[in-house]
Amino acid sequence: MKKVPTVCPYCGCGCGLFLHVEGGRVIGVSPNRNHPVNQGSLCVKGWNCHEFIHHPDRLKTPLIRKNGKLIESSWQEALQYVAKRLSETISRYGPDSVGVLSSAKCTNEENYLLMKFTRAVLGTNNIDHCARLCHSSTVGGLAAAFGSGAMTNSISEIKDARVLFVIGSNTTEQHPMIAMHMLEAVDRGATLIVADPRRTKIADFATIYLQHRSGTDVALLMGIMHVILAEHLVDRDFVMRRTENFHAFEESLREFTPERVEKLTGVKASDIRKVARVYATEKRSMLFYAMGITQHITGVDNVKALANLVMLTGHIGLPCSGINPLRGQNNVQGACDMGALPNVYTGYQKVTDPKARRKFERAWKRRLPERAGLTVVEMTEAALEGRLKAMYIMGENPLLSDPDLNRVREAMEKLEFLVVQDIFLSETAEFADVVLPAATFAEKNGTFTNTERRVQLIRRAVLPPGGAMPDWKIITGLSSLMGYPMQYRDTYEVMEEIALLTPSYGGILHYRLDNGFGLQWPCPDRDHPGTPYLHRKKFARGLGTFLPVQFRMPAELPDEEFPFVLNTGRTGVHYHTGTMCRRTTVLEREEPEPFVEINPRDAEKLEIREGQRVRVSSRRGSIVLRARLRDNTSEGVVFIPFHFREAAANLLTNPALDPEVKIPEYKVCAVRVEPLEVVKRPKRPRRVDIEELRIT
Amino acid sequence: MKGWILPKNSLSYWLRQLRKDSDLIGPLRTPDGDIVFESVEKIHEIVLDPPASLPSVKEFFLPQYETVFVFKTDTVRPIQEKRKRVIFGLRSCDVAALRLLDRFFLDSQPDPYYSERRKNTLLISVVCNRPDPTCFCVGIGAGPYLKEGFDIQLTDLGDRYMVEIGSPRGRRAVREYSFVFQRPRKTDLEDQFEVQLSSTARFQQRINLEGVRSLILSQRVDEGFWQEVANRCIQCGGCVYVCPLCSCFTVTDRVYQEHIERVRLWDACLFKGFTRLAGGILPNDAPVSRTKRWFYHKLIYYPEGIGGFGCVGCGRCAVVCPSKIDMATVVLNIKRVSENAVSG
Repeated sequence: MKKVPTVCPYCGCGCGLFLHVEGGRVIGVSPNRNHPVNQGSLCVKGWNCHEFIHHPDRLKTPLIRKNGKLIESSWQEALQYVAKRLSETISRYGPDSVGVLSSAKCTNEENYLLMKFTRAVLGTNNIDHCARLCHSSTVGGLAAAFGSGAMTNSISEIKDARVLFVIGSNTTEQHPMIAMHMLEAVDRGATLIVADPRRTKIADFATIYLQHRSGTDVALLMGIMHVILAEHLVDRDFVMRRTENFHAFEESLREFTPERVEKLTGVKASDIRKVARVYATEKRSMLFYAMGITQHITGVDNVKALANLVMLTGHIGLPCSGINPLRGQNNVQGACDMGALPNVYTGYQKVTDPKARRKFERAWKRRLPERAGLTVVEMTEAALEGRLKAMYIMGENPLLSDPDLNRVREAMEKLEFLVVQDIFLSETAEFADVVLPAATFAEKNGTFTNTERRVQLIRRAVLPPGGAMPDWKIITGLSSLMGYPMQYRDTYEVMEEIALLTPSYGGILHYRLDNGFGLQWPCPDRDHPGTPYLHRKKFARGLGTFLPVQFRMPAELPDEEFPFVLNTGRTGVHYHTGTMCRRTTVLEREEPEPFVEINPRDAEKLEIREGQRVRVSSRRGSIVLRARLRDNTSEGVVFIPFHFREAAANLLTNPALDPEVKIPEYKVCAVRVEPLEVVKRPKRPRRVDIEELRIT
Repeated sequence: MKGWILPKNSLSYWLRQLRKDSDLIGPLRTPDGDIVFESVEKIHEIVLDPPASLPSVKEFFLPQYETVFVFKTDTVRPIQEKRKRVIFGLRSCDVAALRLLDRFFLDSQPDPYYSERRKNTLLISVVCNRPDPTCFCVGIGAGPYLKEGFDIQLTDLGDRYMVEIGSPRGRRAVREYSFVFQRPRKTDLEDQFEVQLSSTARFQQRINLEGVRSLILSQRVDEGFWQEVANRCIQCGGCVYVCPLCSCFTVTDRVYQEHIERVRLWDACLFKGFTRLAGGILPNDAPVSRTKRWFYHKLIYYPEGIGGFGCVGCGRCAVVCPSKIDMATVVLNIKRVSENAVSG
């Protein structure tokens, strides 16, 4: 038995674990006991991440659609076909008729190569990935305020903090190992403040829990800052020396008295005052947030409000003091860093900046497009309007993860050509013209960047099944066929190229990651030890800037026809669209079917019993699933996890976008809940006498 | 029982001979400094002074994932591992745990998979000279050294090992290479005794499971206490997975194009789906009923069914638990709470 050290493929915590290999198969997992994130622990997903690797459903050969059916083919045939069709599309409709989705599940090297392929070979900036749907607000909001959009602290600092303010994050279930550090801080006497419209487990450990109305985060935060200002709790020295634009911002707070905020948010004015005092007066205060903040049409405003809060109190730029977006996917930080986004190259160098563009043109020896490309949701629009003709999707499943699925499906149907590269035949792959079988995290080398900017090595433990290939090899193969040879011996050579072109990754090379637990960017050169916390002494953009924001209500509010607010999210045992976890025995057994959480008082009014089947409908679609009576959402709010294809929550969600970064409002839309008629039990069949059955 | 002396110089030679017809498993250092049990390529890389609490060796007898048989429409082919193994460097707690697992897997209805692996594995355990802060085997009689139940038990005496033999399998492994072993002198026995004494004195926690068992049985631990424990639990299953005595598994079928594999996997009573009934009913939906049951199983049911506690004091649950509700912590809390109740 061999034990191969690598990194968990599920969430952004980036836990260190060993894959146990025997006879060419991964047969187990154990946690790394020295790893700074998980320190010998794992969550249930991590403990079971070995099982899907050898699942019989794994894709083993390329598939090409012929006469409406996906037929097995050879790699040569498949890649040549893809190359031909993509070239044809480009020569017919121009490069911007192709869209590419990269993957936050794939390595940095693979994201970099697909980004390079899109820009240098296809000649378009139409590349995006699921970060659009989770933390684009963060990248937009924090970049504007500080010049860099990532978690500013390290996970290992959490236990020494004195105040933890968690807003819009179900930390215990979605980042279990970060919650472990939070629990330790609480055990050591830290004050935990939790704000979330849905009461999740982390609230059980909170000193103060605020249940504000969905979509009123801006108001709540403005109220807190109003109190800080009114009670002279502002860190004046910090504001003066390290920030700008304070006065314009100060004005914007005027109307947000705690009493008015109470009316908007439903949180008591006294609680708002209490939170403001605790958060502002205690030093070593860490702020955490996740999808509850970002997935709104006011996502960027929410993030800006949080940035204002940390600058107002001077809680940034020190250990245990900062603002911490908890990134969802194992490598969503890395996929963003690698420029799998329509407007930036690696390290957030803008495509519209001629200097940056020239640098990449010289390195890649190709002319590069000048205009920013389309985002995920805009690609759907473009496909519907007939502007986008072909898509290349690597390891993403928009047909379950994007909002308003009926429209997404329509868009996919309109495409002339769709390529999907994945490990299983996902909902999206079922639609594809060509399906390319890829390798899992256990079958390739590369790096993942976790939520605290830690770039870590993943190592090949076994070979991919059948003809499946690592994503980076598929991309280089395809690129060569399209007349742009990409030659790399292994992913470490790709990383060297990334380091050369990306200032924040300048010193990050595989050989430096081989011992120990990776490096945290920025890491500008080969002697740099990495950066555990950001914005020390000065912000990435120089001075931090206060960004006044306006309070706006969600795009779709409940009315008579659709009287409930629908909140969507994940459960603790499943991950996103479930391609991996739903093929894992104990995980699937924990939550085998879709459900809707509804407040018992609402359920009583609608005469819905626990476990009863109900129909939930919005203006866009309708699904049937079982009711679960829980009082962790307030009356008038229901919650549905989006993992399940049987009743996809995203058939209901509203594709209303944040105007700045185009993140859809997954967290609020209006729905109707109707109990399905209880089917009367059929009459018990008459007991048949054995004698009667005997043939006579 | 007779003792032998093995000079440390001769250890690698002896292990190399034993490896000739077996897979040698030992503690090795990983690139990032953790120590795990894996197949040994280079014998000199075996870590001879590892921390006391290494990962459990349970996985070599009850793997996390194993195919038990393969079937088609008309044939069934059982998969049985015949590979011989030598595990070097495991601790007394592991050996003690295996002895208890034997009662579960081998008595009454023997499990052929476990039984075959047990038969084909030689255990060379090493007495703990320096227990970890999380260790508490000493109060349970599962360590730091054992008087019986092992195949071969080594005690580190500096430049040499005291070698004790506890089974016919162990005896064969020593007798075959007897020329590398020496008769112990009186001073060797004195040294061994000193190691045992000093190791025992080094334990940082003494935990009396028997006392806690009677506190629970006499209803002195109320539901509120268990509720508090359960509130912290995130149902990761880690304690069950690392516990050398937890033996729950589930089975599932993996359907391939040509054949079907029946697979057995580790399972845990902390999952609500563990007791899922037809129709989706979850008898243990409340987390408290599951968390409490795990402790009850170890402290109450195990002694009743198997004899002996379902805990050997290895402290691995303390390492793995993200919520600090491991056996030692909970047991100490029970004692504290009930003492306060008495004094209050």
